Amino acid sequence: MNKDELETMRNSFQMLDERRREILNDSRIKKLQERVKKIRTESMENMEKLMETATKSFAENDIQLIYAQDASTALKQIYELIKKEKIVAKSKSNTVGEIGLSDFLKEKNVELVETDLGDRIVQLNPHDKRPAHPIGPALHLKVEKIAKIISESLGVSVEPDPKTIMELVKANVLQELESCNIGITGANSVAAEDGSLIMVHNEGNISLLSLMDTHIIVIGIDKLVSTIEDAISVVKLETAYATGTRIPSYINIISGPSKTADIEKKILKNMYGARKVVVILLDNGRKKAIRECLWCIGCGSCIVSCPVYNVVGHEFGYRGYLGGRGVAMSQFLEDEKTSYDSGLFMCTLCGLCTIECPVGISTNDIMEKIRCKSQEAGFYPRAHGKIRKNIKTKGKPF
Amino acid sequence: MNTNKMIYFKGCVAREKLKNIADATENILKEAGINYQIIEDEPCCGSVLLRTGFVDDALEQMQKTAQLLNGDTILVSCAGCYRTLKKDYKELLDVDLDVIHTSQLFSELIEEKKIIIKPSHQKITYHDPCHLGRHCGEYEASRKVLESLGQLMEMEHNRDKALCCGSGGGVKSAHPEISDSIALNRLKEVDKSGADILSTSCPFCKLNLAENGSVEVLDLSELVLRCIKHE
Repeated sequence: MNKDELETMRNSFQMLDERRREILNDSRIKKLQERVKKIRTESMENMEKLMETATKSFAENDIQLIYAQDASTALKQIYELIKKEKIVAKSKSNTVGEIGLSDFLKEKNVELVETDLGDRIVQLNPHDKRPAHPIGPALHLKVEKIAKIISESLGVSVEPDPKTIMELVKANVLQELESCNIGITGANSVAAEDGSLIMVHNEGNISLLSLMDTHIIVIGIDKLVSTIEDAISVVKLETAYATGTRIPSYINIISGPSKTADIEKKILKNMYGARKVVVILLDNGRKKAIRECLWCIGCGSCIVSCPVYNVVGHEFGYRGYLGGRGVAMSQFLEDEKTSYDSGLFMCTLCGLCTIECPVGISTNDIMEKIRCKSQEAGFYPRAHGKIRKNIKTKGKPF
Repeated sequence: MNTNKMIYFKGCVAREKLKNIADATENILKEAGINYQIIEDEPCCGSVLLRTGFVDDALEQMQKTAQLLNGDTILVSCAGCYRTLKKDYKELLDVDLDVIHTSQLFSELIEEKKIIIKPSHQKITYHDPCHLGRHCGEYEASRKVLESLGQLMEMEHNRDKALCCGSGGGVKSAHPEISDSIALNRLKEVDKSGADILSTSCPFCKLNLAENGSVEVLDLSELVLRCIKHE
């Protein structure tokens, strides 16, 4: 991010923080927070058990489940499902970003349409396609800059007016969707016992994608909780922390393909919604992750307050996983070098993110453990090597 | 607190870079009539090694340091030393050290009238060091001291929501430009607070904030010494 983008991002964050203040002090939200913390902690302690339960429930619900141990398996499996298509559509998803689907499809000459407005803007930006915030990907871009991006990429002249830009992108995306048969989304929380996937959105785009011929849902194994009730608690809290609103416009619960039994109680498939629902359940290093790191509900609250993120932006993070917790995850998803390159040593370990985190992930403690692994693999700043030597030989760091 | 057998552990920054903090602290100890010792060739507490991922080196260092310190009351100027000696020695070595931070000692000395303060109208704001505040839950000792010295003007983000000074976690050595930018954001809040003096209770914080701004930055010890009333 350049200086202007960082300034715009900080202003957006400040607005978001002010908008959240009242709701986050509400006693109902505080109660919900306690409940969700328990749900997430217990779910990650029982992750393997939840995976077994989910496998059975999805089968009962006629949802095709594909387990992917790593990103390349996930990509291969997705490609098997979409290889006949020229174009597919997707919603905002960090898990899809994690496996690098966008670049992969480009190589395979399959076009990918982002349907989330912020994501679409970032996708059309020729300079930097990384988001600023998990729920507000384009929060670092001024409306003038967005107008320029849209004008150049869509070959039209658009005024720097939010409403005009929205209408133009909407028309463009809807036109593209006419050629799409496959919708790819993530899920915000997944109920193992019910075999249900819960998705939160305000724009209505996920509803459109879920009505396509095939709906592919890419989730990490860390998204699992026990029941729909638990999952709803998680996404309600995520919404409050991410946007400062009590409830999103849409909470979709997908528990199987479209069907009817209205004629003589005989099951007929393929009514209005998806004919086929496929879940890609991704490990990609999560099983070996520090469990506390997996409590995350994806609200982005940690980066809004982070003193480092506020001055460097998404340089401090890995793909869509932004800030310190994202850097920590990158070591499990990839390796020591990746965590080093994602800004492992940019963190001041101040601990403010833990205070701001609805489930209280102690990222600074996790960072210290991750740093240890990284230095053992030879990835640490030269300056730190010198300090270590000074302490050994002179008894002081300088 | 066993003040008969107190070691004043200066810590590397107050010992090597900001000697004024160590001098001010010693002067206050003398003024209050406290017997204390200084360790010749004071060792490293191990904090810097722990935070930067050199755990094996840290443990080796901490074991040596623990042998020197165990059994005495240890007075520290540095928030980093405080967190490490109090929390990490317990968690990693199972050594329960008797550690006290200068802010806690000064607060007691003022309350017990072992030092007499001449209050003034000076406007002071306080920067919570992460290692003292969020990491150890000590927010009030420094504030109590400052309220007896002058008028405490809080910054927008204070106590558990305080913003970092930018120098923690080895960032100042590995990414000095990030450290500077973070300090500048914190100093904006100092400006807005309306205070004339910025006080803190960690030499690392003082170093980074003083380097990046023009406001007078004083460690709590320096400010206390300035306000002691001599009978």
